Amino acid sequence: MATAFDSVRRARPLLGTFVEIEAAGTSRSTMDAAVGAAFEAVDRVHRLMSFHEAASDISRLNREAGLRPTRVDGWTFEVLEAAVEMHHRSNGVFDVTVAPTLQTMGLLPHSCDDQPVPAEPLPFDALELLPGHTVRFRQTDTRIDLGGIAKGFAVDRAIEALRQFNVPAGMVNAGGDLAVFGKQPQMIHIRNPRDPRRLMCSIEAADEALASSARRFDPFRSAEATISAIIDPGSRRPAGAIDGATVRAPSCMVADALTKVVMLIGTNASELLEHYSASALLISTDGDVHITPDWHHAVHLAA
Amino acid sequence: MTKWIRYTLPAAAIMSTVSPAYSMQYLSIEEAQKQAFPSARFVEVQPGRVWKAESGGRVAGFFIFDRVVGKHLFIDYAVALTPGGAVHSVEILQYRESYGGEIRSPSWLAQFVGKTSGSALKVNSDIRNIAGATLSSMHVTEGIKRVLATYGNRLR
Repeated sequence: MATAFDSVRRARPLLGTFVEIEAAGTSRSTMDAAVGAAFEAVDRVHRLMSFHEAASDISRLNREAGLRPTRVDGWTFEVLEAAVEMHHRSNGVFDVTVAPTLQTMGLLPHSCDDQPVPAEPLPFDALELLPGHTVRFRQTDTRIDLGGIAKGFAVDRAIEALRQFNVPAGMVNAGGDLAVFGKQPQMIHIRNPRDPRRLMCSIEAADEALASSARRFDPFRSAEATISAIIDPGSRRPAGAIDGATVRAPSCMVADALTKVVMLIGTNASELLEHYSASALLISTDGDVHITPDWHHAVHLAA
Repeated sequence: MTKWIRYTLPAAAIMSTVSPAYSMQYLSIEEAQKQAFPSARFVEVQPGRVWKAESGGRVAGFFIFDRVVGKHLFIDYAVALTPGGAVHSVEILQYRESYGGEIRSPSWLAQFVGKTSGSALKVNSDIRNIAGATLSSMHVTEGIKRVLATYGNRLR
């Protein structure tokens, strides 16, 4: 049986969180090279899709795509395609155009040329994805943030990099967006969103991805959970009745995006989860835990 | 439509599963030095804190060890700088999280290198992966800026 000593696990500050990458079960030099390549993939996603970096594809789109079709990297385009599909399938619940609301709440920075926040939700098809990896916004004041999906995509690209080195087992964890592969299932512990000092449950995972969302808490100020950074695109207000959600899916990008939907519509997300072959658990504000029936065997509640 | 299964967690059950602290040792200083500058020789410039990396008689860069301490987090990290004083790479060496100053003995650091599967949740022996709300890496980002301000121009 592989022990922790046959593995390499490293962490770097990326994507606004700590990204942990582990490779296990092969030679030290292979694991070192694989982990290095996986970090390079995450770093590339960070450079392409950060809202905060002026040179990223997202910042360029936010400056230019309202004026003219703007070309982006193939990876950025892939995430935008997935975001648009999720937007349609969720009837607009998943929405990457809520950036102005997050800016108003102080969760994303303003740039000097920003327009005022639109009072009405944007039209259903705010983004046009055109041939040649080009993108156009239908309105000049549209601004997008891939924070709800790009972190999961980065995890998927890092897992792919590990697999390219034929590493038998691996794990990538980007602050709660996580994916594992290998023969042995891994045990993942989920924080209690109502009290981040405590753990709510543990989940067995094998060759799959998990993503978690919660009402935000700032571990530097207070352990108390505060308002959510998930914005309801209909009301443009923070999500309410659910304290936290964890979604399991074949890819971390899908799991990441689906947690945002589950935070907003809760158990009404059943059909969408089924479409993406995903499972979910959520903790409602009354403290009850709800788990999709296909998943309860893998979830061990703290009790 | 499928029916979700509902559990009611008694508050007492949640309270009983206290996770006082979480820790992960990633790399030693020596390992991190080797990762940053694979073939270099390291000369200590400031004891336990700053090293000059030399390769083939030339300066390959600098390696700086630092620690940020937040209210609940203690993070050892290293910044590798190019000879010109720009960031070459950043690695987390050790991550400790504690709510309420419960880091008691060095032995608990070993608790997290245990097995990774099993049905029972034994907080002090099994935890290797925690997923949940994002922990801010802001203090490390601030630390890197401080390292650059302190050493970026001085070490050349």
